[in-house]
Amino acid sequence: MSSFSTLRVNTALEDSIPEAGASLESILCTEELQRRPSRPSDYEKENRALVALMSALADSPSTIFQTLAETILDITQCDSAGLSLLTRDGKKPDVCGKRFYWPAIAGMWNPHVGGGTPRNFGPCGDVLDRNRTLLFRHFERRYPYLMPVIPAAEECLLVPFYVAGEAVGTIWAIMHSDRRKFDAEDDRVMASLGRFASSAYRALIHMEDLKFQVSEREKAEAEVRELARGLEAKIRRLVEANVVGIVMWNLEGAITGANEAFLRMVQYDREDLASGRVRWTDLTPAEWRGRDERAVAELKASGIFRPFEKEYFRKDGSRVPVLLGGAPFEGDGNDGVAFVLDLTEQKRAQEKLQEAQQSLYATQVDLARVSRLTTMGELAASIAHEVNQPLTAVTNNASACLRLLTDRNLDPEVLRRALEEIVADAARASAVIARIRAFIKKAPAEKSELDINEVIQEVLALADHELQKKRIFVECQLTKTLPLVLADRVQLQQVLLNLIMNGIEAMTAVTDRPRVLWVQSQADESGEILVAVRDAGIGLGSEADRLFTPFFTTKASGMGMGLPISRSLVEGHGGRLWVTPNSPHGAMFSFTLPVAGGSPS
Amino acid sequence: MTEPRIVFAVDDDPSVRSSLKFLLSTVGLQAETFDSADSFLRKELPDVPSCLVLDVRLPGLSGLEFQRELAARNIPIPIVFLTGHGDIPMSVRAMKAGAVEFLTKPFRDQDLLDAVLAALDRDRARREQEEKVADLRRRFDSLTSREQEVVSMVVAGMLNKQIAAELGTAENTVKVHRSRAMEKMHAQSLADLVVMMQTLKHLPKKAL
Repeated sequence: MSSFSTLRVNTALEDSIPEAGASLESILCTEELQRRPSRPSDYEKENRALVALMSALADSPSTIFQTLAETILDITQCDSAGLSLLTRDGKKPDVCGKRFYWPAIAGMWNPHVGGGTPRNFGPCGDVLDRNRTLLFRHFERRYPYLMPVIPAAEECLLVPFYVAGEAVGTIWAIMHSDRRKFDAEDDRVMASLGRFASSAYRALIHMEDLKFQVSEREKAEAEVRELARGLEAKIRRLVEANVVGIVMWNLEGAITGANEAFLRMVQYDREDLASGRVRWTDLTPAEWRGRDERAVAELKASGIFRPFEKEYFRKDGSRVPVLLGGAPFEGDGNDGVAFVLDLTEQKRAQEKLQEAQQSLYATQVDLARVSRLTTMGELAASIAHEVNQPLTAVTNNASACLRLLTDRNLDPEVLRRALEEIVADAARASAVIARIRAFIKKAPAEKSELDINEVIQEVLALADHELQKKRIFVECQLTKTLPLVLADRVQLQQVLLNLIMNGIEAMTAVTDRPRVLWVQSQADESGEILVAVRDAGIGLGSEADRLFTPFFTTKASGMGMGLPISRSLVEGHGGRLWVTPNSPHGAMFSFTLPVAGGSPS
Repeated sequence: MTEPRIVFAVDDDPSVRSSLKFLLSTVGLQAETFDSADSFLRKELPDVPSCLVLDVRLPGLSGLEFQRELAARNIPIPIVFLTGHGDIPMSVRAMKAGAVEFLTKPFRDQDLLDAVLAALDRDRARREQEEKVADLRRRFDSLTSREQEVVSMVVAGMLNKQIAAELGTAENTVKVHRSRAMEKMHAQSLADLVVMMQTLKHLPKKAL
């Protein structure tokens, strides 16, 4: 075996062999087979051998070659028998292979299993080249390569071995002595076994292939199973973690399965679920059915429905706000799964936020009122003080002068100083008045193009708290797509807020009719924007003419400055502000504003 | 007429201050003005009849707070309030706290002068009263303790005999104490003494 191994790798030897050895014809004696006295055919033995091969094939296909070698040894009564297969990788038979290898050897050469020869430096190559059975005598004479393979072969019978019609190897029988010689019967049996070996090999390949396919398939299936198991575990984890509600549903309205989270959400229990009483169609309040139908339509069209918010009835009839999203299972799309998220907390937080915003608005309204009042109140007090001081000084000085005159005790120098002070104080008083006027005009308006309806909405939002508190219903009649106005947003808000607050206050005493505040916007006949604020309040009475007079007020806490200031602000924008009685109750304040970008048509 | 009197005025407006001073001078009243309550409080007040003309709208301490502060410091100066705009609740509080008058700016000169003169009169009367009481106190303090004991019992209506028994002394001794006390107190009669003791009794304990 070890000497043979050396041969296998000694490629230098391979190149020198053919020239040095005997001719092929000198070592062939194939023709003798027919001339030699032949043994009688032992079909029974042959059949037994074939059956043994068949069962070997069935029991242990991987050892079929070894079985074949042993069968040849048994039937031909030779000394060694085996199989040579042309191969490229040393394993799989391949017509283009450069070497023969010996997968199975029985008898005396058995230790050489796994060895082989180069394609062109051995008798197997000759058999394949001639594509027929050949009988060699002492082939080592031509192929010294095989000389070390002992014991030497006296005679060797080689039969081609075909796979799929192509000769890829040989089966052979060797006599190491002249104990007997191969004959025609051996030739026949070998050919028969060769054919069998071919089909056995085909079957084997086929089976190996099948086995490979099966194992591949099993592997794939195992992977899928593993994957599925992993996925299933994950999904089960998701379902059982109960962080979200999971529902199995069908389009008929049934809920075929649900996790605890979902059942808790809607306050049903497993029993309810098992009884089939829990149906998503019944859980859905009437006004949400339309939304459900849209989701079903989406599901049918795209195979999924995007998450949306809706409500479910709880068992006790109360409602739970949820976020719902899902997909159908594979198949006809009639069944599916959905996740359900309880939005109660979010809604509560949202409501709190809204409440906070409401109270912020309320504070803003109060603040606007307070600052309006404080500003006006302080303004009035400031006017009184600032004007009174110089007036007091003037009065004092003048009175003193009069007294001295009466007493005929007036020093001209004293009089001069007193008069100088009087003049100075009078000037101071008038400066105060000028300053107040400047204060009222205040900063120049910052005008920009505004959508009047937007400003109305802003102010209504600002007054919302006050409106709700006084239980006043607002009816907006806003004309859409009005031209923009060029105005100072804050001043416009101030005017509107003032009119709305006036309307609210005019209705606080009203109890015998609905408290409605109408806010209208439209384009008037001249193309200007007309805004009207109507109330159903106590009305104007005979005081309508004096409403715009500064410091005139009908209110207990009013300064009487709101309407005069509002009018001056509107006029500052090139508009008009007026009031007319509202029928049958209340007042209607209207103002116009020119549209932005020049005169209207 | 030549009795020295002084009017203090506190107003943050220099024109008002100088015109007040001028106006008051026409009736021979001396005035001293201050621009804030604090600067007035730092002033050592002379021991003459005086009054204070005070604007309720003062920077820093308001007029009413200033009035309280003065009361707390036991400075019983009469106050004439001036205000920019008639604030009825404020004037009521000021009057209740002892203000002489509450005038709305600009005021008639006569109204101010009347108020100031009334305030000065009130202050003079108070001072006279205080002086009288102080004098009585001095006299009372000059009595011996036995004489004071006897006087207390006399004005309580006890007879000489009863007093003697109470003090464990002779009736004549009581008589001597009594007549010495009457003399020292400048009392013309028993009724006189009773009134004097009554006055002392109602006085704050400051002098004791």
